[in-house]
Amino acid sequence: MGRVILRSVVSLVLAAGLGSLVVFGLLRLIGGDVALMILGQEAQPGAYEILREQLNLNQPWYQQYFDWLLGVFTGDLGTSYSARFDIYEEVLRRLGPTTLLAFGSLLISIPLALVLGTYSAIQVKKLRGGVVDVLSQIGIAIPAFWAGLIFVVIFGINLRWFPTGGYTSPFDDLGMSLKQLIMPTMALSLGITSVLTRYVRSAMLDVMGEEFIRTAMAKGRTRRGAALIHGVRNASVSLVTVGTLQFGALMAGTVVIENVFVIPGIGRLLVTSVLGREVIVVQSLILVILLMILIMNFLMDIAYVLLDPRIRDSQKGEALA
Amino acid sequence: MFCLTRGSVTVRKARLLPDTTEHHGQGGAGEPGSDLFVDAVVADVPETPSRWKRIRRLPLPLLVGSFLVGSFLTVAFVSFIWTPHDPLKLVVPDRLLPVGSPGYLFGTDKFGRDVLSQLMVGARNSLFVSLLSTSVAVVVGGLLGLLTAGSGPRWRNVLSRLVDVGVALPGILIALVLATSTGPGNQAAIIAIIFWFIPIAARVTIGPARQILALDYVEAAYAYGRSKWYVLLRHVTPNIGPLLIVLASVMFAAAILIEAALAFLGIGAQPPTASWGRLLQESQPLLEAAPALMFFPGVAIVLTVLGFNLLGDGLRTILDPQQASRSGLM
Repeated sequence: MGRVILRSVVSLVLAAGLGSLVVFGLLRLIGGDVALMILGQEAQPGAYEILREQLNLNQPWYQQYFDWLLGVFTGDLGTSYSARFDIYEEVLRRLGPTTLLAFGSLLISIPLALVLGTYSAIQVKKLRGGVVDVLSQIGIAIPAFWAGLIFVVIFGINLRWFPTGGYTSPFDDLGMSLKQLIMPTMALSLGITSVLTRYVRSAMLDVMGEEFIRTAMAKGRTRRGAALIHGVRNASVSLVTVGTLQFGALMAGTVVIENVFVIPGIGRLLVTSVLGREVIVVQSLILVILLMILIMNFLMDIAYVLLDPRIRDSQKGEALA
Repeated sequence: MFCLTRGSVTVRKARLLPDTTEHHGQGGAGEPGSDLFVDAVVADVPETPSRWKRIRRLPLPLLVGSFLVGSFLTVAFVSFIWTPHDPLKLVVPDRLLPVGSPGYLFGTDKFGRDVLSQLMVGARNSLFVSLLSTSVAVVVGGLLGLLTAGSGPRWRNVLSRLVDVGVALPGILIALVLATSTGPGNQAAIIAIIFWFIPIAARVTIGPARQILALDYVEAAYAYGRSKWYVLLRHVTPNIGPLLIVLASVMFAAAILIEAALAFLGIGAQPPTASWGRLLQESQPLLEAAPALMFFPGVAIVLTVLGFNLLGDGLRTILDPQQASRSGLM
């Protein structure tokens, strides 16, 4: 167990290092001159030189890269060019809403998908199972931001149950915070729940054909009992494997949803920075999102080991490599 | 290949055969009863069912999917030659007309532009972005997958690790990096989707391609003196073709969603290009005054994405590329 965790930590650090290099490199390779990107074409000649000096762009690229990485650890990422905020502080401040939103929808989606997927797999030959299947297919096709807009019109404008946007920290006013978070979390969960439901369903259908299910039924369990006691745990192992692929989609959804509900999180800042061509801000924000995804993957790795005794006992953790 | 020709009906029958004989012919293959049964089936095949019957035999998702995709394509192509109004013409007196107003079936937006016409032109933009990005990604990713599957053990390891890293990279981040560097627009959306999909297409191709490379006739082709690329393109590609078709359909659906999301964020299509995502973005400040503006572009996206996903599902049932559905990528 300890070895497996160590392995996951090492791969987390390696992936983070590689990821930061890719982000740094891509922005410079494709974009070219960072100062010119920030200033635009109509820059005055003097401003260009000054900005280059300010951003340390005259140094070799590896120097810039290591300065940036060092800045991540020491809390000095520079200031935004046009809005003049301290990037590090701003990122920290905006981390809260994004984390709440992303983990909140995961907490809703994963159990819901397990229940719905299992149900539709057990009821596969009946209409009820088919209904879940069709609904999940429709859920995948609904863009998260459109679901958000519909919620705003129905629950925000017409019924006036929830505010149409904004964010309050749960430490300041828990009730208000929850009210504001409900609609964005639901909108984000819709698509993820649908995708995961389909995975659980097909995993359950696979598992139900396994020998140990037949054995359990031979021992006197009903089909449903065998599915619930022996099937779900096996199906959740494969849910964990495919779940990791969904984190990218989850973060993408968070970026979009934050813009629908005017939530001051990482995603909203990212979009404003992209449109304002704030290369330095974008670079740091993308690294933050990448780290969030990697950390979720790390947690999933641990969950994988806890769920699957075969890996736990083998001590090799081959599946994590 | 997709329409059920007589050949594939025979195949379906043949697949059903072992099952049914197991149930009926308890006595074994030599029994006259089971022979009779086989005769009956063989006699059934040449009598080709009517076209309607053959269509009805197709899986339901395929039919619904084809219908939705067909409607989408029709609307997109019709928009080139005819739209009810000029989608860009501003008619200020006709601002924010409700749904069903005379001459404006879906109403007008805040500048008095016809919503239906904009939706039709928006379909064209979705089609353009998704078609271009998906086809490039499937071709390049497929070739990369073939190359990986066909190379020696050392290169195969390096390449497939690289592909794995690419699959794990969240595509939206690539899109945002690109948009920062090249500026927002359809171009950024297309390049981003391509970069996003290439590793996925490669990943899906590698496994099945390696399975086929292990078959005897590939060995025979090598023995005959065929080159590696000849084998990959002439023998492997046709065999993984069904897989790539299913993949393309599912990716097309994803591309439409991504295009809409990017346009909604202001990173994709720019004004005056009509795009479903951008229509939704414009509707957002008017949610209270004109909620109908938000309704139709969303419905268009949902129906189109649903169509391509169902089509992919249906094709998977018919063409049966098993490997893909297991990998969790599609």
